Amino acid sequence: MKLLTKTNRYYLLLTTVLFALAGVALYYGLYAALRSEVEEQLSNARLHLERRAATGEALTATPFEYQLSVSPVPRPLGYRDTLLLDAQEQEMVPFRQFTFPLQVQGQPRWVTLRKSLVETDDVLGVVLTVLLTVLGLLLLGVVLLNRWLAHRLWAPFRHTLHTLRHYGVQENRVLTFPPVSTDEFAELNDELTRLSQRLVADYEAMREFTANAAHETQTPLAIMQAKLEQMLQLPELANPALAALTTDLYQATLRLSRLHQALTLLSKIENRQFAETAPLHLARLLREKAQQLQPLLDARALTLTLDLAAEPVGLRLHPGLADSLVHNLLQNAIKHNVRGGTIAVQLTPRALEVSNTGPAISGDPARFFERFQKHEAASASPGLGLSIVQQIGRYYGFPVSYTFEPATSRHTLRVRF
Amino acid sequence: MKLLLVEDEPALRTTLMDYLRQSGYVCEVAGSYEQAREKVKLYEYDCVVLDLTLPDGNGLDILRALKADGSRAGVLIISARAALDDRLAGLDLGADDYLTKPFHLAELNSRLRAIIRRRQFQGHHHIAFRDLLVWPEQAEVFVREQPLTLTRKEYDLLLFLLANPNRVLTKEAIAEHLCGDAVDSADSFDFIYTHLKNLRKKLQEKGADNYIRTMYGVGYKLSMD
Repeated sequence: MKLLTKTNRYYLLLTTVLFALAGVALYYGLYAALRSEVEEQLSNARLHLERRAATGEALTATPFEYQLSVSPVPRPLGYRDTLLLDAQEQEMVPFRQFTFPLQVQGQPRWVTLRKSLVETDDVLGVVLTVLLTVLGLLLLGVVLLNRWLAHRLWAPFRHTLHTLRHYGVQENRVLTFPPVSTDEFAELNDELTRLSQRLVADYEAMREFTANAAHETQTPLAIMQAKLEQMLQLPELANPALAALTTDLYQATLRLSRLHQALTLLSKIENRQFAETAPLHLARLLREKAQQLQPLLDARALTLTLDLAAEPVGLRLHPGLADSLVHNLLQNAIKHNVRGGTIAVQLTPRALEVSNTGPAISGDPARFFERFQKHEAASASPGLGLSIVQQIGRYYGFPVSYTFEPATSRHTLRVRF
Repeated sequence: MKLLLVEDEPALRTTLMDYLRQSGYVCEVAGSYEQAREKVKLYEYDCVVLDLTLPDGNGLDILRALKADGSRAGVLIISARAALDDRLAGLDLGADDYLTKPFHLAELNSRLRAIIRRRQFQGHHHIAFRDLLVWPEQAEVFVREQPLTLTRKEYDLLLFLLANPNRVLTKEAIAEHLCGDAVDSADSFDFIYTHLKNLRKKLQEKGADNYIRTMYGVGYKLSMD
């Protein structure tokens, strides 16, 4: 929920409660005031009548008999409300009446004075309507003003947010913001700029570290590999025992260097060091890779079918990562296959699906994406292929999923774009 | 064939130098950016094997200098930086090829030969080995003057062997040469065996000598004698 909506909600709640209370208080206050006014008028009329009675005059006859009635029999005394029929409007109308005893020409009489409350109601109605309308307009005005102000005052904040959303640390750029007049936002922007400076510095340091670590590790590996290859050329290597030892060393070196390359790639993806992108022609890439891997397919008598009818449009990936993604998917399908099995690659505008025959694998499929997860513990492969696939998927926001069809014994890896 | 090898790591430099001299190149070495800079300014080379990470400079600048001088030398980058961006930058600047350390020596030689072939002979070049004659640009192979039909992979394999005569080529180096770095389990080496068997059979059908030797457990060798 937006901040504005939230504050407005509280404003509205407060004003509504206040309005309700003020309305009730106003109504009863005004009503009481008007009634006491009516009562005062009635009491004035009584004084007038008493003065007349004291002089021994008869009570004046009034043309509106409902305003004054005189009775020779006692009536309840005091003020009370009553309803009388209005002859003109043919409806019951509220009256305030005042009954008091009076000696008229020596005779005890009970006089009742009445005054209509209809005018009072009308006045009350008008006053309340005017007041409530004004209050309502005020409320509306406050809400609108608030909204407009929020729109204006929060504009720099939204700009900051927009900048942050499109900020990637691998761009190697310190965040800058236009000057803002609101202190709080200026402070926020300053802090963000400082934060981004630190981030850029840290990122740069980490990038350098990864590059240096890769370099420092690869160099001795390269030396070992080259020396071992030279060693294999020596005539002494005709000795099978020596040849076996050297070959084992050589193979272990290759394995180590392959592992190192895969780990470096993974950490680089995690550090988001692949900012560059190029348009990806997935169908072409798949065809190229399939051709490259043909000898491996032949060696295991695998049949590869490519269904590349439609490819996703507008995909942009780092060329190296695209290559790695396709390579690892295909290699995985070859590695975990059975002799004479099949691999089916299906490309649609929404997804790339690689499925292969293969023995059922026990264990949690979610763990296949973890590092160093191997199907066979003794395998020479370090078990990083699917981790790389998943990391590349994560990097570009492509969900990668795995399914196994026990009936046909098919493993399917699916990358959705 | 004159080469300049730019590599700062002494152990790797001597190994590479020995290997390249054994393979018949005239090989000069430079251990630093400054040395390399001086040598490419003073002398002409057929090809420069260039390491990118040098203690006193970036190898890419040497590549830039070569290109700025309009040098005819081919450039093969060797770098421990597996950074894909470096590879792209190097190729963009006009390098002929790129090898990531660690690499197989045989692969280095095969790439060097391809570069030199492209640059120096413009296709008018053939490789002769005993009773074999190969025209690489046309991808034609003759055994005792009779044309030999090979599959793409068999041809690649033969060319790889011819680039490194009289050297033991490991199964790993051959596998990587033929299908990238996809090969990482022992049973995937079977295909090399199949391809070699077919290649040998085709050569023998045309009456070629049996000069592809199997070095048991290690790899194969194209024997000169």
